[in-house]
Amino acid sequence: MRVLAFDTATPATVVALADVGAEPGHGGLWLELRDDPPPGARPGHTQRLLALIEEVVATGGGWDAIELIAVGVGPGTFTGLRIGIATARALARGRGIRLAGVSTLASLAAAARARAPGSAIVALIDARRREAFAAAWAVDAAPLQDPPLIAPCVLTPAELAAAAAALESPAIAVGDGAIKFRAVLEPAGIRVPPDGSELHLVSAREHSRLAARAAPNGSGAVLPAYLRVPDAELTGPRCTPHQS
Amino acid sequence: MTRDGLVLAIETSCDDTCAAVISRDGEIRSNVISSQEVHGRFGGVVPEIASRHHLELLDPVLDRAFADAGATLGDIGLIAATRGPGLVAALLVGFNAGKALAASRELPFAAVDHLHGHVAASYLAPARLQPPFLSLIASGGHTLLAEVSEPGPDGMRVLGETLDDAAGEAFDKGARLLGLGYPGGPALERLASGGDPEAFAFPTGARMPGLEFSFAGLKTALLYRIRDLGETEAQRRRADLAAAYQRAIVESLMLRVRRALRTTGASRLAVGGGVAANGALRSALAELGVELDVPPPALCTDNAAMIASAARYVPAVAFPGYLDLDVYASGERALGSQ
Ligand SMILES: [Zn+2]
Repeated sequence: MRVLAFDTATPATVVALADVGAEPGHGGLWLELRDDPPPGARPGHTQRLLALIEEVVATGGGWDAIELIAVGVGPGTFTGLRIGIATARALARGRGIRLAGVSTLASLAAAARARAPGSAIVALIDARRREAFAAAWAVDAAPLQDPPLIAPCVLTPAELAAAAAALESPAIAVGDGAIKFRAVLEPAGIRVPPDGSELHLVSAREHSRLAARAAPNGSGAVLPAYLRVPDAELTGPRCTPHQS
Repeated sequence: MTRDGLVLAIETSCDDTCAAVISRDGEIRSNVISSQEVHGRFGGVVPEIASRHHLELLDPVLDRAFADAGATLGDIGLIAATRGPGLVAALLVGFNAGKALAASRELPFAAVDHLHGHVAASYLAPARLQPPFLSLIASGGHTLLAEVSEPGPDGMRVLGETLDDAAGEAFDKGARLLGLGYPGGPALERLASGGDPEAFAFPTGARMPGLEFSFAGLKTALLYRIRDLGETEAQRRRADLAAAYQRAIVESLMLRVRRALRTTGASRLAVGGGVAANGALRSALAELGVELDVPPPALCTDNAAMIASAARYVPAVAFPGYLDLDVYASGERALGSQ
């Protein structure tokens, strides 16, 4: 199945076009383009996303063969999530293509699963304000298919340290949040790959794999996983990690 | 339908989620506005809440815009979206959706300035006014006077803007001081109808030369007056306070309109923005003795039909030239004053 997938939950703009399920070496298409702004620079989602999409679609021979659009629903920057989802819905409407939302945390974990078999996996996205968006899966769990050990939520460094200490070992943490909170994770016995490791990057290719497996939703059901209420409404209780 | 197809426009610059379909000659096929009635309890528009609602509302609003127009995407020849000025996070929802929808069909795209849109409401069928004319735009987000020499965005020269609050903001803030809800313009107008506009003298900035507006002092004057009167007396004279306050806003606008008509020699005036729905302002404008166009209320407040109208006069960018276009915030760019 040919899937167009993209993600704008983190500062990166990542786009992939992939034939999911094609046998390796049998002409299956795998393209991934990404724009990673330098640290501190403004994300280029609005300027880069559609251009990268058009580039992979044109390279792949056009829209006609695309059966599914997969978009990362976060968690991540609110504005980034809305740009990705608004774009995905409009493309799905314009081309009459099915749309599926993919958890960006589950995708990070799924990509790490293949490289770190036998480890529990913690996926972390920088939530700014010195917090992290987090989710974790057990040693033998498949992200998105099996229930997480820690369901996606937002954690302070102290909460993250406590959650990390409670994880079975070995455990590995990936994502830009893992780089940011290395000092909290490593003392808790969690392995964090080097900063430059690909394991920390959101992969739209992984989105396409997960989406092709999951049941597609109607386009209205693809909503951002904000995980935080707007500041103006900040009166309710914080989300806490539920261990299962 | 004309050979070039219909125009679809999306507008999400503030708290209204809007989509519209018009013909190339300005006939409105549909004009859907979904107002977010969630900002009242915050006393103003919260950008993050507005943006979340835009994303939820845009698809149903688009569905209705097509259904009302009896059209499909296949009938559309040009897609437009508001590029700015406005709340960036809110603009990004409609602007990215518009670009993507256009790109998916390889259609041309028009990035429209919101203020140009307000002016272009006057070009919708039945066409009521053609340039040259003077334009007054007064809403909760902007207050400005512009000289319009031609229908394109370059034919618009801003003569004066507000230095602080917008006229609609002045209405809302005054309404809050008088214990009315948000948005307060219509409520304040209702209260004022039973009051004496001469009962109190509020500042109109008459001694401020030029065509710039300022409403911050007016709000402060009302606050002090309520304090001076004391709670009981201020409560008893609420209608008078509202009437005098409304009169000051209207007079402040009219002073600059008269000045601008004199200095430009314009003989025609178009009015746009939500404040144009105010009865006191409309009566004052009618007495000017110039050819006047005040579009119907649904075309004065933010809407996408006006954006579609403006799109007809913006150079349309052919696919794929618009893929990297970005939005701009309030104050980042002003028409005709670069
Ligand atoms: Zn407006």
